[in-house]
Amino acid sequence: MKLRTQQPTRRGRRLLVAAATVTVAALALSGCGVGASGEAASESDELTVVVEGGGKAELQPIADLYQEKTGTKVTLVELPYAGLYDRISSELQAGKPSFDIAALDAIWLPAFAPALAPLDDLFTADVQDDLFGGLVSESQVDGTFVGMPVWTNSEILFYRTDLFEDPKNMADFEAKYGYPLAAPTTWEEYRDVAEFFTRDTDGDGTVDLYGTDVKGAVETEWLATVSQAGAEAMVLDAATGDVTVDSPEHQKALDFYVSLLPYAPSGAAQLDWAGAQNLFYQGKLAMMRFWGHAYRQTPDDSPVKDSIGVAPMIAGPGGVAGVPGAWYLSVPASGEHQDAAKDFVAFAYEHNDLAADTSLGLVARKSAFESKAGEPGFENYPALVSTLEAAQSLPRPATPQWQEIVDSVLIPMMQKAVEPGADTAQLLTDAKSQIEAIVE
Amino acid sequence: MNPLETRGTSRILLWVLLAAAIVLYGFPFVYLLLTSFKTPLDAIAVPPTVLPETWTIDNYVAALSREGVPAALVNSVVTAVTSTLLSLVLAVPAAYAITRFRTPSGRVFIVAALVTRMVPTIAVGAPLIAVMRTLGLTDTSFGLALAHTTISLPLSIWLMASFFEAVPDELSEAAEVDGCSRLQAMWRVVLPVVSGGLAVTAIFAFLASWNEFLFALLLTSVRAQTTPVVIANFQSQFGLDWGGMTALAAVYSVPVILLTLFLQRHIVAGLTLGAVKG
Repeated sequence: MKLRTQQPTRRGRRLLVAAATVTVAALALSGCGVGASGEAASESDELTVVVEGGGKAELQPIADLYQEKTGTKVTLVELPYAGLYDRISSELQAGKPSFDIAALDAIWLPAFAPALAPLDDLFTADVQDDLFGGLVSESQVDGTFVGMPVWTNSEILFYRTDLFEDPKNMADFEAKYGYPLAAPTTWEEYRDVAEFFTRDTDGDGTVDLYGTDVKGAVETEWLATVSQAGAEAMVLDAATGDVTVDSPEHQKALDFYVSLLPYAPSGAAQLDWAGAQNLFYQGKLAMMRFWGHAYRQTPDDSPVKDSIGVAPMIAGPGGVAGVPGAWYLSVPASGEHQDAAKDFVAFAYEHNDLAADTSLGLVARKSAFESKAGEPGFENYPALVSTLEAAQSLPRPATPQWQEIVDSVLIPMMQKAVEPGADTAQLLTDAKSQIEAIVE
Repeated sequence: MNPLETRGTSRILLWVLLAAAIVLYGFPFVYLLLTSFKTPLDAIAVPPTVLPETWTIDNYVAALSREGVPAALVNSVVTAVTSTLLSLVLAVPAAYAITRFRTPSGRVFIVAALVTRMVPTIAVGAPLIAVMRTLGLTDTSFGLALAHTTISLPLSIWLMASFFEAVPDELSEAAEVDGCSRLQAMWRVVLPVVSGGLAVTAIFAFLASWNEFLFALLLTSVRAQTTPVVIANFQSQFGLDWGGMTALAAVYSVPVILLTLFLQRHIVAGLTLGAVKG
């Protein structure tokens, strides 16, 4: 018996031809890519900057002006925050990175410092005078400047003016607490106001307005509270390696932090920045401590859109304090165009004020903040400046293991601390031994 | 209970389980789809709402007009198609040779191919960047497709090997008796028999590339950036644009849904191939 081999049919042949055409087209197209050119500037009249998604808008006007003035094209490569660290880390390990400049989160500087070019010559006395103290110290690792601040942030106090300026609320508050209702400036006032506004507004027997939020899924707000308590070394002393997380100031800060739980929505252990921001925009919080950029991000259809007031961060026994949330422009030491890259970094500093008119509206220089004094839409600037200028607004410790400490110790500790009946002293003691194991 | 009643009860139970599975798997996507039609405030409502209060397509307009999105969609298609073709071109002869010749080295090879799947992707990140840079393939769709092929190839070889195993050796031997070369026997006789398996392998390879994030993040910048990276950019350190992110994710899901529906018949045939071996 003869086995008939299956011959490709006409339809089959057409499919084969189509597949072959697709193959050729795909291989031809895949040789490049359809986006704008932006990889590894081979000429020094092109520079590539990797930047976190939200920060691209901040740098775009500066990059555009730089091209206009110098003819050098600056391509901003936008990458998600969650992957930026891995990308930069992998490229620096591989050597000869594809970018000329990187916009780095402050907490990454110590980890990347060995692979970054020194920028000491850019930090003249005038430059240092125009930057907040916390940023000047944060931009140095082991005495060498490795990043130029490009924008900075800090938590400030957001509150609802419709509630604070309501005559009945004002009278009731003063009658109950013995002083006028205003944006709180101290821990005690903050707790009073939070307690006052936590209520059932529609009479259905359920609390639907809370005085504040308590974020258990992030650590930075508690770190600001630690500085407000008067701690000089937040979590650990990076210079000596001593872990201070169980100090009396840290204990005081954690106790104050969890004392706000009765005036906050449930689910604190899972509440992060986005969640807290949503609650405030929904009109469910009377106050929140949040990063200053949020002032410009209120959705148009938010019920509190035109009722948001801002004030400096509150003070504890040690004074007003926020954690500076700065980003820095750094140049890889193995980069091909280091001189041109440094030139752009200097230009970005010089024209820092251009970032004020972007969607985030964040700048780094004191003079850039001052240039918008009294201008509508920039009401958050005075609050940001006074928080950043506060002596206790200290940067996070300059240790390469910081991200690991945050992820594996501080956030789990915060999540446990906001659970009912948590033993905060024990949690801090446990955190100390865990951090010691990481840094040793 | 008589056999008819038993069969009826089983059928009801089966339908209940099926409905539960559909809800379990389908709800997240339906919720994503509904969120993409919500206003910014509605999208972040506390507690969350399922249906939009006001329906809007603003998120789609904003997401699709965002810089880099159309290019990323094209890049995703080109990369996934290239990677799928590379996977098939390499996996089919490899799997065929392994199953037909059954040599010790073939067995070692197929196990070694599986072992490569056990290496965490991030572990090869830095070396891969260096290799791609040496080859001049960083920020190109072809370079990314090559990287994606390293993920899909082992699975493709295993899948194709299992499909070839289901085809009796006598079939290709008879073709060779009739004058076909080994390659002709594979091409003209065996491949048409396993066309369902080819479809299954192709769709797995396509999905592996279509959804891949880490290599796309590490190896592309502007020219070849794919959509998963662009979708992730909707979440920045300064906020999360739920509306835009869900709108683009919904658009990005359409091609794979269509592809799966289009190849459904082949996939089912492919998945049952070998079930009646003998």
